[in-house]
Amino acid sequence: MVVSKKTKKTQESINNRLALVMKSGKYTLGYKTVLRSLRGSKSKLIIISNNCPPLRKSEIEYYAMLSKVGVHHFNGNNVDLGTACGKYFRVCCLSIIDPGDSDIIKSIPGDQ
Amino acid sequence: MVKFLKPNKAVIVLQGRFAGRKAVIIRSFDEGTRDRPYGHCLVAGISKYPKKVIRKDSAKKTAKKSRVKAFLKVVNYNHIMPTRYTLDVDLKDVVTLDALQSGDKKVVACKETKARLEERFKTGKNRWFFTKLRF
Repeated sequence: MVVSKKTKKTQESINNRLALVMKSGKYTLGYKTVLRSLRGSKSKLIIISNNCPPLRKSEIEYYAMLSKVGVHHFNGNNVDLGTACGKYFRVCCLSIIDPGDSDIIKSIPGDQ
Repeated sequence: MVKFLKPNKAVIVLQGRFAGRKAVIIRSFDEGTRDRPYGHCLVAGISKYPKKVIRKDSAKKTAKKSRVKAFLKVVNYNHIMPTRYTLDVDLKDVVTLDALQSGDKKVVACKETKARLEERFKTGKNRWFFTKLRF
């Protein structure tokens, strides 16, 4: 069984890219706005935390499949994802609308 | 990045009297309107699904079992679940916003939708749409 080991390095790079998006790009945080961005085809990438409830995770993945948008499963829970976004609250899912200067769209869906 | 809430998309209504019923989008209003400042769509759905027809049913029984009751509704996008299925029925001329304004216009539109959905069911196509969602 091949298990792809998420090294510390890639996790850091995702955090860096996410920080750059927070600084220079457009994004929305939270389940309601993620679905809204998917319906309006504004989203470019969805990031879901690992402790997202499975029904909600499947729903977001289904919407993303219909909308042909990549989904990245963040290696951390909602507390970690909130911290990675530089926020002081928990973030279960987020949607990147405009990556700004970051190359998160090009690099992340490739390795997922 | 692909818009998927388009006409002819099959959706499942999640809230309200018709929760759990399958419907098809006739017309979508992504930006909303003055009265409804949110994304919404006009859907036509099945209120009463056709029953299971078996081989030994007589013609009279088959006709009775293949009846469909339709509904028309304007639904908020938050209250529907889109699916990967589509249903190609031409209901644009029958189901319009002003058909929902008055009671008798709605009844007429519902009857016509019912007829078209029944004829689609009898051809045996789009079988997923006419089966009840079990939950």
